[in-house]
Amino acid sequence: MRLPRLLRTTSFRLAALFALIFGISTIVVGSFVYINVKAALDRQERTRIQSDALALKGEFDSGGMPDLMDAIKERERNKLAGGLDYSLFTAKGGRIVGRLPTPRMRAGWRHVNGPPDGDEPPGELEHLLVYSINLSPNLWLSVGDDIGLLRRLDNTFLQMFVIGLVLAITLAVGGGIVVSAGFLRRIDAITRTAEAIIEGDIGKRIVRNGSGDDLDRLAASLNRMLDRIGLLMDALRNVSTDVAHDLRTPLGHLRQQLENARGHARSTGEYAQAVDSAIAKTDSILETFSAILRIAQIESGSRKAGFRRINLSEIVASLVQSYSPTAEEQRRPLSASIAPDVSIDGDRELIIQLVVNLLDNAMRHTPPGTPITVNLAETPDTIALEVADKGPGVPEAERERILERFYRCETSRSTPGSGLGLSLVSAVSGLHRATIHVMDNMPGLKFRIEFLRTNNQGAA
Amino acid sequence: MKLLLVEDDAETAAFALRGFRERGYTLDHAKNGRDGLYLAMESTYDIIIVDRMLPGMDGLSMVKALRSAGVVTPVLFLTTMSGIDDRVEGLDAGGDDYLIKPYAFSELAARVNALARRPPASKESTVLRVGDLEMNLLKRVVTRGGETIDLQPREFQLLEYLMRRADQIVTRTMLLEGVWDFHFDPKTNIVETHISRLRSKINLGRENDLIHTVRGSGYCLRAPATAS
Repeated sequence: MRLPRLLRTTSFRLAALFALIFGISTIVVGSFVYINVKAALDRQERTRIQSDALALKGEFDSGGMPDLMDAIKERERNKLAGGLDYSLFTAKGGRIVGRLPTPRMRAGWRHVNGPPDGDEPPGELEHLLVYSINLSPNLWLSVGDDIGLLRRLDNTFLQMFVIGLVLAITLAVGGGIVVSAGFLRRIDAITRTAEAIIEGDIGKRIVRNGSGDDLDRLAASLNRMLDRIGLLMDALRNVSTDVAHDLRTPLGHLRQQLENARGHARSTGEYAQAVDSAIAKTDSILETFSAILRIAQIESGSRKAGFRRINLSEIVASLVQSYSPTAEEQRRPLSASIAPDVSIDGDRELIIQLVVNLLDNAMRHTPPGTPITVNLAETPDTIALEVADKGPGVPEAERERILERFYRCETSRSTPGSGLGLSLVSAVSGLHRATIHVMDNMPGLKFRIEFLRTNNQGAA
Repeated sequence: MKLLLVEDDAETAAFALRGFRERGYTLDHAKNGRDGLYLAMESTYDIIIVDRMLPGMDGLSMVKALRSAGVVTPVLFLTTMSGIDDRVEGLDAGGDDYLIKPYAFSELAARVNALARRPPASKESTVLRVGDLEMNLLKRVVTRGGETIDLQPREFQLLEYLMRRADQIVTRTMLLEGVWDFHFDPKTNIVETHISRLRSKINLGRENDLIHTVRGSGYCLRAPATAS
């Protein structure tokens, strides 16, 4: 059961592939060496036989038959030291001396099988290589040597070669299996962790071996990913809990109000009043839903497709202008310092809402008469939009939290609102890759939104 | 006025049908895009109200088909509150206005009236007149009874919007969209403040109030003669 899986692992397949390549290259190299060595040995043997035959021809040419016979006899005596076989024949095929078969009166090379002479394996004939030469019109010389040894060397070489090849491939495949088993064990560990997480053990993490190899690094990345998912899940859980909590309260009030009207209202006027108030409450609940969905949509990033060059200076100036009458009415000095022709790539509608939410926030959470300042400045690196008030401010510990969904400071709980206005500011900033800083305005609260400057500056 | 409502949600449809019938409008109702398209091609309507999410053929495709067939009847889209991109898509498809669900009936009625009475773009005049109030769009000057009234740019824009829709109810949301380009509801009452400023500038030293507040609905700019 385990083996087929093992055979399917990547490392085993790699090992098998290497074994195959290794086998093929060994065969190629081996064949090359074999062919060349065989050719060299053959050449050497032929040179030995041929030069000896030519030497004997020299003896015959200079000293005639007697010298030739002497030379042959001399060589026969030394045969034990690796000597050759010599035979002389008449042109008619009559044997004068030697035991080699008749040359059939043709010069050149022949392979001849002769009777065994004792040094060959049982049942095999002696194998001879013979060179024949014509000494005079009536005299032929044949020189031959037993090359059975050479042939047997061939066979041994081939046998060793095949055994070596089989051994190498076996080792490669075996090594592949061992390595794959180790690999599989680690993959199994990762799979088991994944299964455990699927089953619900969210806190489970892959055990690392600390070696820093690719699997270990993969495990580290997966663990980091799981941590991140865990954080996101927690955030999501918090949000849904917050949504439920935040909507329960107004829905509860709504219900109380309706029940109260049902039980105590005495006139149509009182009923109408109860219904109006119920509609207003429902509207505020719907508004909260709308804000949640809007934030979700902004955070999904789909609005990025509609980004175009927008003139931030004009937008901010126009919004300040729209807010001044109301600020004046509330005796709030609203002052603005806006650098001209500052533009960014963005979504006009969302940027308007960002500025409006910051202005709304400053107007709603500070007592009447509190000064509000709006600042838009451009530096070589950033574009900074600041909305600041001189109100009571927010304690440092709470400053970052006011951007969270549904977060409302103790001091602002009595003010109506969904607690989502600044979350939307944060979402819009995120979409525009702007960073948002919540700062102390000494006294009061200052929001600073820093946009990155994009390349084509100046175009409105 | 004859309206066509294309809406699949029975409760929402009943709510709109009842409201319009009380006001004496003739109203046809289609439950899906295909029927809506058929009705819209078959007879003439003053306004078509289309829900964007419909079973089968959706509202967007229905209006596209209608426009390509040469029907120019004004279309008001009803969209869900989540869709911030819906408005642009709806207007691109040939819609004339949009309203986010759920809506107050007074809002729907005001928008339907505004669409029905919208003057053709070619007949744009350079001078608007309501009673003794006069606005010269080229010179950007407003006079009442011959006396020049000094207005801030935003106030001028607001008054222009109201004068173009004289005798109609204009809701707060319509003003936010048309004058401020806000497609959401700000927490600060900038509309009320601007209206009250404009009103005091226009009415200064005069008896007749031209800008009327319609309780629960919005505002209406009306000449005194037609008011009585």
